[in-house]
This record gives sequence, structure tokens and C-alpha cells, in this order.
Amino acid sequence: MTSVDALSARQIAAGIAAGEFSATEVARAALDAIASRDNQTRAFLQVSEDLALTAAARTDAARAAGEALPPLAGVPVAFKDNMNLLGTRTTCASRMLESYESAYTATCVQRMLDAGATPLGKLNMDEFAFGSTTDSSAFHPSNNPWDIACVPGGSSGGSAAAVAAGEVTIALGSDTGGSIRQPASLCGVVGMKPTYGAVSRYGVVAFGSSLDQAGPLGRRVEDVALAMNALTAGGRDPCDSTSRHCEQDFLAHLDDPIEGRTVGIIPALLQADGLAPEVRVATQAAATQLADAGAHIVEVDLPNMANSISAYYVLASCEAFSNLARFDGVRYGYQEPGCATLAEQSSLSRAHGFGPEAKRRQMLGAYLLSSGVYERYYLAAQKVRTLITRDYQQAFAQADVLLMPVSPTVAWPHGAISDPAALYLADVYTISNNIAGNCGISVPVCLGADSELPIGVQLQGPAFADARLLTFARALERACQMEGAVAPSFAGRGGELR
Amino acid sequence: MPLTKQDVAGIAEYARIALSDAELDEMTDYMNDAIELLDPLLEYDLDGVEPTFHPIGELVNVTRDDVVTAGLSLDEALANASNVRDRAFRVPAILSGGDES
Repeated sequence: MTSVDALSARQIAAGIAAGEFSATEVARAALDAIASRDNQTRAFLQVSEDLALTAAARTDAARAAGEALPPLAGVPVAFKDNMNLLGTRTTCASRMLESYESAYTATCVQRMLDAGATPLGKLNMDEFAFGSTTDSSAFHPSNNPWDIACVPGGSSGGSAAAVAAGEVTIALGSDTGGSIRQPASLCGVVGMKPTYGAVSRYGVVAFGSSLDQAGPLGRRVEDVALAMNALTAGGRDPCDSTSRHCEQDFLAHLDDPIEGRTVGIIPALLQADGLAPEVRVATQAAATQLADAGAHIVEVDLPNMANSISAYYVLASCEAFSNLARFDGVRYGYQEPGCATLAEQSSLSRAHGFGPEAKRRQMLGAYLLSSGVYERYYLAAQKVRTLITRDYQQAFAQADVLLMPVSPTVAWPHGAISDPAALYLADVYTISNNIAGNCGISVPVCLGADSELPIGVQLQGPAFADARLLTFARALERACQMEGAVAPSFAGRGGELR
Repeated sequence: MPLTKQDVAGIAEYARIALSDAELDEMTDYMNDAIELLDPLLEYDLDGVEPTFHPIGELVNVTRDDVVTAGLSLDEALANASNVRDRAFRVPAILSGGDES
């Protein structure tokens, strides 16, 4: 008996092509894994059994007809619930969109389906992606599969938890300031934030339009590379004017040697207050492992990185306020009944539809965009963004990729950090990457010596060096013992293939 | 100077988010904490630094051929609305004291 969680995406697709098992058997195994595990992880908001079995039947029919199968044929995937998929609701984990039926399918979701993937459903998140715990979901928190008393991180916490518990092989998340990489780190899976523009944002509910990027999470770098092939297939998306042609075979250079190539480390970041000793040790060990594989380690500096938090919370809040102004209860979303005027209906629909953090971010954005305040903060933040981008250009002139922590700590217990501003500070290692529009990836390297919880380290690359980033991520994966790891108390529980 | 509760009430009105009295107190504390977090931006001398409004700075005027493509049907566009009449979204009076119809 093999549980579907033991197989890579490539093994699943190859097994279906070879007739070892059918796509329908894989879909049923994934549904069984979800049924026996999700009551503890609570990663899913909706399980799309009918869509999954229909897609799997289509794959099986294609094989029976002798057609060549696409690269993700029959691979179980699920999507963060800010991504539209026809036949499902897209709630953003908010009361505001609790009953919103997707009017169309997001390009990133469609491209996964076009590559043959089987859609298992929609995954929990912080409300409208505001947060780093998934505790701000209006429906329920999700739990970290390595310790269900702990948060999975966020905002793509459901995506990371579902992959870490082996409920699906690949999940999509979105990353505005670390929302793929941080939960991936806390849950011990690989999570990639592609270069801004590499993956279409069409159909992904907008948070910060100049920062948002969708990307894959998986238990193996190879699975993430396969997903990147699917997400970029077909090139630029005409429905997203910021998307760029980025189609290439991300598997082609996965196992290239990194001998003689350079990895930049930023010594000041490793001395920062609040960095847990076990995370510092794990990051230093990762540098040693890359050096052992032949890479040169060089010291570089990102002098404005510490202030990227300030710039980010200006830019992200202002963009969020602008984007979420569309939720007025008229065309879609929660509508307060019995209001006498449109203004009253908007104010009460928004008051009762949005949760506390969504209100906070919009209030901050509204203030920062107001007359007189705009120049003081918003314009300054856009100028500091220029300085941060220049810092990266100088660093990447000296190094092929940069290595740093993802999160200053491992996963923490639910409710342990309640001050919103304190949570914002934990994003220090991830947000400058979004500000500059570069690519980044979290790779699980070990369990913490003190906590015994997963630690990921982050690699960052320049814009459109996504394939290079995956090469270094694969080198790190080879040196560690975390490839394919399912959280121990979930591995093999349900999901048998035969 | 920190924001007062009255300032925050004004912002809430502008942002169209009705806040209760207790929520206004909490929001005022939050806003002042969050604004303090932005202080490092004020310490920069940014004269001569151009702003970056978008990570793809050189990308301008993305256009496509002027051809008709399919969009949502009327029924699809109205499907998620709470209040629809005569093939249109229905809203209460725009001006206070008006009649809803």
C-alpha cells in the first residue's frame, strides 16, 4: 500500500501514464487523505470533490484514448481562496465574500488545470491576505501539521498546511510581503514567490497590486519547478498588463552544479535582534552546505532593508485601501439590509463584512493617502523603494543569489503574538523582495535544535532569475534531509492508492 | 502629533467603515502605533531620488489590438449581487432623504 503523500508530482503523472493507477484512484486517495487529516489541520475552506473527480475522469479518458498526458496529469492540487475557480466560492476567508461564487477562473489556476492537475478545493488564509498566522480567517484558524497547537504562518497558511500534511501534492499561494515563503518555512515545505510579472495576477483578488505575486508550494523543489512550468506556459497573459513572458523549462537546470557560483550573505541580518538562535544556526549551516557544494560565499549589504518594513506598510496599506474600496455591497459581497441611503449601506456593509485586520489596513491606507500626509509618507516610501531596489542591484552584481532567514522564529502557538504591529516586524526578511519585484524561495533545511519545528531558509534572486533560484534551492535540498517530508503525525494516514 | 479619536472618526467616514465607539478607541491606538512604525521614512534625505511606483519601471502603455472579446454575460455579472431589478444593480437613495426607487 502506498499513500499518495509519498509520491512526487512526477511520480504521480508517470504512474498514471504507465497505468499503475488511474487519475480517479489518485483523486479518491487525495480526498481520503483530506477526509482523515483536515479535521486537524483545518487547511481547507472548500473541498471540490465533484470538480476533482470530473477532472480525473477526463485525464483517464485521455489516457484510454491514447493521448499524450500533460506534465501534471492527475496531480492533486488546491488553491488559496483568493483565486477564482469556476464552480467554487472565492471567499478570501472573509464574511464579505462568504457566498461569492467565482465568475471566472484565474489564469494561474487555469494553467494548472491545463497542465492536467486535479483540483481538490480552496484553502484557508488570513482574511484578504492581511496577516502572517491564518488566525484572521473569518471562518476558523488553520493548524501547523508539525504541531497543531501552533500557527501554520500566513497569509497562505492553508496552502502550506495542506502540503505539509500531505493532503495535496502542490498548492498555490500568493505573496505580497512573504505570504508564500513564511508559511512554507513554518510548515517545512518549499514555497516560491516568483518574480513580479512572471505569473499572471488575473483572477487573484488584489491586495497590493504592485507587490502581489502568485506562486507554488510543494514538498520538493522539483514539484515547485513543475508548477512553475505550468504557471508560465503560454507566456504573457493578455488579461494582466503587468505579466511578462517568462515561459521556460524550469526543470532543465535544476541539477546544474553550483560550483564556482556565488551566494551572498548579509552579516548584519544574522545579528539582528529578535532572530532566534536556532534560525541563525540553520541559516549559517545552509551557507556552509552551499559552500561544500562548491559555491563561493561572499558578504554583501542591503543597507535599507531594515527600513523596508516602514516602506512596505505604507505601500501595501495604500494599495489595499484602493483595491478594497470596490467592496461596497452593491455588485457582490455582503450587503447590509434595510439601509436608507447608499452611504449608510456602504459603511455598514464594510463594517460588518470586514474583520478587524482588514479594517485596520484600510484605515491606515486611507489616512496615508489623505491630503498633506501623502507627501510625507507615501511619496517617501516610493523613493525608499528606489533605494531598496538599488541595494539589490548592487548586491546582485556581486552574488548570483542571496541567502537569509525567512522568519525570525519557528512557528508559535496560536494567540501568542496579539499585537498587530509586533507581527508586522516579523516580515523583515521577506518584504524587501516584494518591494523590488525580485524572486524568492523558502527551502526547508532542518528541524530547530530547540523547538523541533521546521526551519526554512530563504534564497533570493534578481528579477527573472527564477530558474537560477531553483537551481540553488535544489542544491540546498540535496544537502538537507527534508525532501518530500510530510509532517510525521500525518504521513501515510489515509490516502492509500490501492 | 498623535491622531485623536476625532481624527480617526473622520478617516473612518472617508473610508466608509462604520466604527463603534469602542472600535474607534482601539483603532486610534492601532493607528498611532502603526504610524510610529513608519518613522524611519522621515529620517531620509530623499532629495533627488526618483520614486518607484511599480517594480516594472520601464513598462509603459500596454495595449492590445482593438478587437471585441467575450466578457461576462449580463446574468453572470449580476449573479453575485444581493439586490437586482430590471437587469441592473439596485441601490438605496444616493442622497439622504430620497426615495429608494
